[in-house]
Amino acid sequence: CIRPLILEAIRHLQLCRRKANVIKLSYYLFELGMANNLVRCAAQQTKARITPVISQIRTAHDHAHEHHAVGDPVKIVIGNREIVGFGMNGQPNYIDRVDFPLPAIRYKEVTPDIQVLKEKEKGDWSKLTIEEKKALYRASFCQTFAEMKAPTGEWKSLLGFTLIGCSFAMWIYIWMKKFVYAPLPDTFTPEKQQAQLERMLNMQIGPIEGLASKYDYEKGRWKE
Amino acid sequence: MFRSGLARSASFARNLAVPNNCKCIAGVRFMSKHSTESDVEFDARYESFFNRKDIDGWECRKAMNDLSGMDLVPEPRIVIAALNACRRLNDIALAIRFLETVKDKCGGKAEIFPYILQEIRPTLNQLGLSTPEELGYDKPELALKSVYDL
Repeated sequence: CIRPLILEAIRHLQLCRRKANVIKLSYYLFELGMANNLVRCAAQQTKARITPVISQIRTAHDHAHEHHAVGDPVKIVIGNREIVGFGMNGQPNYIDRVDFPLPAIRYKEVTPDIQVLKEKEKGDWSKLTIEEKKALYRASFCQTFAEMKAPTGEWKSLLGFTLIGCSFAMWIYIWMKKFVYAPLPDTFTPEKQQAQLERMLNMQIGPIEGLASKYDYEKGRWKE
Repeated sequence: MFRSGLARSASFARNLAVPNNCKCIAGVRFMSKHSTESDVEFDARYESFFNRKDIDGWECRKAMNDLSGMDLVPEPRIVIAALNACRRLNDIALAIRFLETVKDKCGGKAEIFPYILQEIRPTLNQLGLSTPEELGYDKPELALKSVYDL
């Protein structure tokens, strides 16, 4: 009971040899068939010479896939959806991207009303109504290009949070000035600053291009 | 036996050469990205690829994804061949998606897509295809909640 399944899997692989991912898929299906078949064989076979072989294969199979007992892992993830292409990385996933418009699976699972539309799709497309064309599009794809590229308005929240952060920083500075920093020394009063400026002019600080060069010593006032 | 072996190796070689199935390999090497293929040869290669009678969904999608990854707008003849391939595959969603792709490849320049539409209008009428504008898909129709807001 194992041999026909193996032959069928080999035939399946031969038919699909161009497509690496379908080979992977057929491997999964083969394993699924193998698992089902082995369960059936183990239940039916009572002959001693076959049972040890089956139990050997079965333990090898179980050892290889300990994390799931039954079920094809691909089908668990995607359900009833049709795999239609290689996709971005060979995995049967769906993504909307403007630079990679055709993902590996259709978006919606096959339901009876979509099946009806698909039958109608095989005929003349001008007989499809606008609503039917839209339904067929949405069955294959989640978002249209317009929806993918639509602005999200996220910039408003970004700008708002940034400005809130800036204002919070300013409040922190006010608090620092009030409670943390020591008061300014008395040399900062206007009278003391004036006296310092007079002393700098008396010392002729910067006589060539600096402060004293802008002061006219003959006339006793700043140069024009 | 020999003939069947030959036939099988020929079909295998043909499958290997997808989509580069013209008789002479026109300078597309896999070593550097400087291709010596001319624009006309490029157009002819993709047009003949889409015009294959036995094209299937995988190959069609592969070629369309490749075209959308390249820095070019597909010529109207490539678009027409792709739409005819979609018709043979009985997949109108694929055709509409490809039209959206072509429109997106035109970028911001407003004068390219009307030209392409004008060139492919006979094919659209013949196949009974609607453009995304006619379906109302040039504006967003549905909104998708962001995964970060769920």
